[in-house]
Amino acid sequence: MRVLIVDDEALARGRLRALLAEDASHEVVAEAESGEACLALVAKHRPDVVLLDIRMAGMDGIETARHLAALAEPPAVIFTTAYDAFAIQAFDAQAVGYLLKPVRGERLTEALHRVARPTRPQLAALTGAGGTPRRRIAAKLGDALRLIPVDTIRYFQADQKYVTVHHEGGADLIDESLKDLETEFQESFVRIHRNALVALQYLAALERDARGMLLARLDGITETLAVSRRHAPEVRRRMRAG
Amino acid sequence: MGSTEPRTPPRTDGQFLPDFCSARAVLAVVLLAELVAIVLTLARYEASVQFWESLARVSLFLLWCTLLSAALLCAARPLLVGATPARTSIAALGIVLGCVAAVSYGAWWMGREWQELPALLTAAGVGKLPAFLLTNLAIAAIVTGLLLRYFWVTAQWRRKIEEEARARIRALQARIRPHFLFNSMNTIAALTRSDPGRAEEAVEDLADLFRASLSDAAAMVTLKEELELSRIYQRIEQHRLGERLAVEWQVASLPMRARIPPLSVQPLLENAIYHGIEQLAGGGTVVVRGSYDDAARIIEISIENPRPDDAQARTGQRAGNRIALDNLRQRFALSWGPRASVEAGPAGSRYRVVLRFPAELAA
Repeated sequence: MRVLIVDDEALARGRLRALLAEDASHEVVAEAESGEACLALVAKHRPDVVLLDIRMAGMDGIETARHLAALAEPPAVIFTTAYDAFAIQAFDAQAVGYLLKPVRGERLTEALHRVARPTRPQLAALTGAGGTPRRRIAAKLGDALRLIPVDTIRYFQADQKYVTVHHEGGADLIDESLKDLETEFQESFVRIHRNALVALQYLAALERDARGMLLARLDGITETLAVSRRHAPEVRRRMRAG
Repeated sequence: MGSTEPRTPPRTDGQFLPDFCSARAVLAVVLLAELVAIVLTLARYEASVQFWESLARVSLFLLWCTLLSAALLCAARPLLVGATPARTSIAALGIVLGCVAAVSYGAWWMGREWQELPALLTAAGVGKLPAFLLTNLAIAAIVTGLLLRYFWVTAQWRRKIEEEARARIRALQARIRPHFLFNSMNTIAALTRSDPGRAEEAVEDLADLFRASLSDAAAMVTLKEELELSRIYQRIEQHRLGERLAVEWQVASLPMRARIPPLSVQPLLENAIYHGIEQLAGGGTVVVRGSYDDAARIIEISIENPRPDDAQARTGQRAGNRIALDNLRQRFALSWGPRASVEAGPAGSRYRVVLRFPAELAA
């Protein structure tokens, strides 16, 4: 099996490499010391499985896994962690594979035998349970990923099937539901309509058009968005709250 | 330090009374006697009576009562060790009432023998001994009862504070972060293959660190020992974090024999690494800076780490740090009262904790 090791500690990577070297059926194709490097190396080496540390500086393991899941052919993921009480509970609840450090050789072999791709609902549940909201959203661009920093996103708009992310650099389609996004980013985004989720940070003003329809004006965007009557009170409350 | 030594063994329930042998307690007794004298004089104030004269008489009487009681309570203190609170209260009340009875009798006798002396306490003259005695005993019983109640409540409150502080130290000791423990184990597992020599060193360091965390929480350690422990901790983390972690020690000017509660500096270094360095992909430098004010005999130690620019990580730093900082503040307050301080907060792009405490050199 072709394995990519991701951990920000050199000794931890070294130990996994040494354990994997004992079994000829596995090959370490690359090592990454961050989530960002992992995404680049996965695109390049196409590993079967990624051994992914959870607690890393910058992009953590769970966020990295969520971005991987946006790939056309995502690799399987086995999380590794020394100790993360919340994450472990969530992994057990979601039946997502993980290994505890120091990793035992036989546990590693066993885990590699029943590797699986964590599904998106599983990963979404992990984020809710122990992790923090993602700081980037991955949009698929052919084989590669475009990572959109969440704080540049103006709003999400749901279509029939897709959700469009409108951000500083343009607009991209993503394959996620508005409901999940609303749950994950409830701190910084507010639902203004059945089909739109807006960043509070960019929400400039509410105004009425000639027909009395309530509209939201966003910083940096010329068009306005419809605010439904049902969501208006909550939008006003969140705007007042800052 | 003597009786003001902060880390006295826990008081037993029976010893809730202050130590009447100490100069401070005697001063308090005198002040209290004067207060009661003023109250009594005011309560009996009439235009016909000279206020100051009356106050002087009552004061004289009360000082006799209270100082005599304090002296006897001081002498009785060894006998009351291990007594139940009820027994102690009854004994104290007995002593005070005995003293008041004796002094009252003396006053009455003197008033009778030397008619020219102004009568004590009773402006109308000390005619009937039983009435005079009973009045004084009733007042004494009420005031003593109130005081005993006050001492009891204060002692309970102090005991609670001390117990809480001890519990916190125990919790802190038990709180070697699991994250740190398992990561260290992983480091050692990795080093065992690649570099057995360093693996051995890491095991020794870890053993030292755990031993320190299991040692007597109440005993103070020297600054030298605490800094040594912090360096051991740094060595373990250094294996794991490699070049990402640098610690600058600027502590040469500190008096190394100064006393400090154990696990004061190490947890702060741990926080600086856990919330600061580990969150930064490129790592960073923790600066431990010590300075000593020779004249004021105050030691200042600051621990500074770069802050991750991520808002969430910063929230984490606040939450996780608060426990360690509250704990440290309490222990510093218990050891030194207002003479010590623990300050923490962002300083530009860095996060800084500053400890200030008086230099008490160990023998």
